[in-house]
Amino acid sequence: MSTLLKQRPPLWLWLGILSIGVVAGFAGVINVLINGHAHVYNVTREIPWGILIATYVFMVVSSTGLCLISSLGHVFGIKKFEFIGKRAILLAILTLLFGFGAIGMELNHPIRMGIYVMLSPNFSSAIWWMGTLYGVYLILLCGEFYFLMKGMHKGAFALGMLGFIAAVSAHSNLGAVFGLLEARPFWHGSFLPIYFILSALVSGGAIVSMIVYFNHKETGTPMPQKYHPFFDILGRLQALFMMTLIFFVIWKIIPGLYGHPPEKFEATMATLTGPLAFNFWFFEVLIGMLIPVIILLNRRTRTPGGVMAAGLLATCGIFFMRYDLVIAGQLVSMRQGTADLVGGLLHYAPSITEIAIVVGAISGCLLVYTLAERYLPLDAEEH
Amino acid sequence: MKTKRYAIVLDTHRCIDCKACTVACKVENNVPLGKENYRNWVGADPLRGSYPNLGESYTPSQCQHCSNPPCAHVCPTSATTVSPDGIVHVIDHKCIGCKYCMTACPYNARYYNEEIEAVDKCTFCTQRIQVGRIPACVETCPTKVRVFGDINDPNSEVSQLLAENPSRVLKEAQGTKPNLYYLI
Repeated sequence: MSTLLKQRPPLWLWLGILSIGVVAGFAGVINVLINGHAHVYNVTREIPWGILIATYVFMVVSSTGLCLISSLGHVFGIKKFEFIGKRAILLAILTLLFGFGAIGMELNHPIRMGIYVMLSPNFSSAIWWMGTLYGVYLILLCGEFYFLMKGMHKGAFALGMLGFIAAVSAHSNLGAVFGLLEARPFWHGSFLPIYFILSALVSGGAIVSMIVYFNHKETGTPMPQKYHPFFDILGRLQALFMMTLIFFVIWKIIPGLYGHPPEKFEATMATLTGPLAFNFWFFEVLIGMLIPVIILLNRRTRTPGGVMAAGLLATCGIFFMRYDLVIAGQLVSMRQGTADLVGGLLHYAPSITEIAIVVGAISGCLLVYTLAERYLPLDAEEH
Repeated sequence: MKTKRYAIVLDTHRCIDCKACTVACKVENNVPLGKENYRNWVGADPLRGSYPNLGESYTPSQCQHCSNPPCAHVCPTSATTVSPDGIVHVIDHKCIGCKYCMTACPYNARYYNEEIEAVDKCTFCTQRIQVGRIPACVETCPTKVRVFGDINDPNSEVSQLLAENPSRVLKEAQGTKPNLYYLI
């Protein structure tokens, strides 16, 4: 603690802001526990999945992405990526756990879930597969992190390989949770499971650029020389991932417009010109994709700071991508004659409590990571 | 003997939008107060024509007790099951409140019931069927829009209505094979 006191103001400020976020999250959780979901959340009968589900998706996409990007080093043997392993896997564990926390607050009965996913599993349920595979993935990540910390490379490689397979399986199943819903044309199909894997790579690359950039800032030491070529490679890779993502986004939109397919068209238009339009054009397109791609493609701006800035912007944009995806799929009413329609669409805006829990989950994750960065030997003995 | 397959046949031309079915259902099944809490409803179809030649019709509806129910496919804990007579049920104590069934149902027939702490829906008033009565919505309807019965029994009133009249089901293209039939 005494060393913490000697830190420059930014660390204090950072920890202070995160602590406030965590307190807000706790307040939200207590509010739900006392008053019940129906009274403090804005989810409805027709839009049962709100911002907490979107946050869960955001967090686990981040986790998967971190695992995939770190596997470039200690599984696929790309030397320049090896040193990120411990940090990436640690943050993959934390994002997954806090993501579980967010969805746990959306579920009405997380304890029943623990019991009945085992006592009466339904193997045709994508949520069952997603939950089970993410459970396996969490165990593998913890094992991998242990081996990395102990410097046991063979074990880390083996669990890294298994973790990679589990990450891709679990994450594509998360896409399938949405993609298998025939009732929701905006989500239905094989697009989402595939898109989720790609967007995980974008998320992972973006977050890795931030954790590598900031880990030395926190201790106040200059950036090691080896980081410069790493950032150059990561920046190029990230440019490739993001250009592919733009291509995916365009091809998500075109079938939603072409021939005005029922329900899919209305949901697509809700994103392009409707209630989600600002989120889409400002956060997703401008902040999340265009500015980062311009930074990453320009050799002069593809510096460590530039790659980090692109990662930060992309991560903000990706949060809105998750939110818009989850909400847009539910905005079209399932039946005629439903009340509360505005412009032919249902309405959802997160409540203060929902936002507080989201802020708490993200702040909590960052706070634990910052403390781990401080107290765990994440730089020791690199292979 | 062939197993029963319960169904409701509706003649929507008779519906006067009085919503007695919704009220009867809420009372019979202890559905909590609140406008989001209901097991059945009366949907208003779009207004036809232009003034003064206007027409409007109503489509009362509820859980379709699909023969291929998406809600049962998606439930992670098998809390939604189908009984041998085709009634789609929720086993309350297994429901984790993930609401996946609510996103999967193309009819929006489900809601989360805070009092029983589980997702709730129409059960064709199982408690009444077991003692030889008909569902509350069917019994209360003043214009007899709904007829309840076993479509596996060729002599039942529902089977005869479906034999004598053309009918449709809601969102047939979804492949859910609903068991609510609307006479055309």
